Amino acid sequence: MRPAAATHPSNSSSHSQQEPRAANPLLLLPSSRAAKLSLGCPILDRLLSGGLPAASVTEIAGESASGKTQLCLQLALVAPLSPMSSSCLFLHSDLPFPLRRLRGLAPKSRPDLLDHVLVAAAHSTSDLLSLLSRAQHLLTHPNDSPRRLPIRLILLDSIASLFRADFDASPADLRRRSALFFRISAKLKELAHRHQCVVVVTNQVVDVVEGETGNTVEWSSGRRVSPALGLAWANCVNTRLFLTRDADGPNGCSRRRMKVAFAPHLPERACEFAIRRDGVFGVEPSER
Amino acid sequence: MEIADLPICTSHRAKLLAAGYSSLAALSAADPPRLALDLNIEIPEAEDILKIAVCANKFKGADGPSSVIKGAQNAWDMLSDEQSRKHINTGSGDLNNILGGGIHCKEVTEIGGVPGIGKTQLGIQLAINVQIPVECGGLGGKSVYIDTEGSFMVERVYQIAEGCISDILEYFPHYQNKAPSGQEKLKPESFLADIYYFRICSYTEQIAVINYLEKFLGEHKDVRIVIIDSVTFHFRQDFDDMALRTRVLSGLSLKLMKLAKTYNLAVSCLPY
Repeated sequence: MRPAAATHPSNSSSHSQQEPRAANPLLLLPSSRAAKLSLGCPILDRLLSGGLPAASVTEIAGESASGKTQLCLQLALVAPLSPMSSSCLFLHSDLPFPLRRLRGLAPKSRPDLLDHVLVAAAHSTSDLLSLLSRAQHLLTHPNDSPRRLPIRLILLDSIASLFRADFDASPADLRRRSALFFRISAKLKELAHRHQCVVVVTNQVVDVVEGETGNTVEWSSGRRVSPALGLAWANCVNTRLFLTRDADGPNGCSRRRMKVAFAPHLPERACEFAIRRDGVFGVEPSER
Repeated sequence: MEIADLPICTSHRAKLLAAGYSSLAALSAADPPRLALDLNIEIPEAEDILKIAVCANKFKGADGPSSVIKGAQNAWDMLSDEQSRKHINTGSGDLNNILGGGIHCKEVTEIGGVPGIGKTQLGIQLAINVQIPVECGGLGGKSVYIDTEGSFMVERVYQIAEGCISDILEYFPHYQNKAPSGQEKLKPESFLADIYYFRICSYTEQIAVINYLEKFLGEHKDVRIVIIDSVTFHFRQDFDDMALRTRVLSGLSLKLMKLAKTYNLAVSCLPY
């Protein structure tokens, strides 16, 4: 909705950049409805009202072996086949990259799906920031590699590992750490917005000893846990999905749940899921 | 200019003063049906009086012998101003009560809380509720939504708009039938179209948008609320000099307060 008054030629000398432009949400409506990345399972998609939203940062938090990396690998393989038709950029800080599992998940008939997964290792936060700058270049110049689908999915596995080693608990370091959260998150959100990407970040959990922190707290494996990196990081993500595990399922095997901790467009609800050889799939409660 | 100087007939002037309209400010906040009721006159006559008052307001700057400093008001005028001002419904009766009727115009309201508690939802609700038509008790205005975090989900706004419309039809079932001529039926699409949405990705863009707002609001006089979600996100990184950050943020908040007072709108900041 650009006002007509903004076309004065005399203004152009003083404003070297364009004036801010107001967008009309009505025009954004059809594209936002279409731009959701399905998880590859109808039950999980129903939990998320269609899938993961574009132009938004989604966090998947859970304890180790709860299925976060499995879900990321599944998304990487689903993206080229989905209506979004995109490649994915997989930034991993947990070494090594699970290549064998990725090969195992890809359908036998389509080995070429692996061509659309770009993998890069980030060993520290400065690595990550430089990788994101390179990613920005890749996204703004998609024609440099015409044979590859455009990148519309960015996965970061996991954000917590980057911060575990380099930072003490002193106030100065915590301040430095918080400033980095916001910097990384602002960079991710900018990429998500400018190129309409789906950004997924995985996070580990820490035990909650006592008291209310204001952060998400869930029961998993018989103890109370909360996503790592605290309240500061919780402000940096748009949507948070929490994966929990209980040992009291049928036949002694674990019961896994995916819960929407908070999201701007979803109510708080949960569903059960299972990790099978061919991927992560939701389970109807009656199917147990 | 006083009521006494308005070019209206003596009986109307006496009725205005008797009903408590002692200044042009109080008169300009009234609408024709209310004025007609207060003065016990016909609605067309009330409309005429208001038209004359509006013209008189335009020339107000030329002479002001009654005020020592230009723009000074006495407290009685300010009180009648405040009492006649409309509030923006938050959607919750209890919340409206503790806010004194709703979100106030001409004020900056800050809404804070932990992530996931509902700040963005409240912001979107306000952006929709400000558009409730005047006949149904709302302000009938438009809204500006400045999004720094990307949490403005259009499909959620659509859902909230649908909910608001069904609420309006529940309380005013005759609204659809006797909508004034030329006005369309209530639809979620029209609610969405009346939100001016800015997406900003850095603190420089944030400062630029708030500076630009003055010009934008001058051109779009029907905006009644500005929602900023969230004010502080981009200021929590890259600012090594805390004193500079404080100065910039204070400057922003002063600008917002000035905008709120000048354009008679509510500003809602959702920090964090």
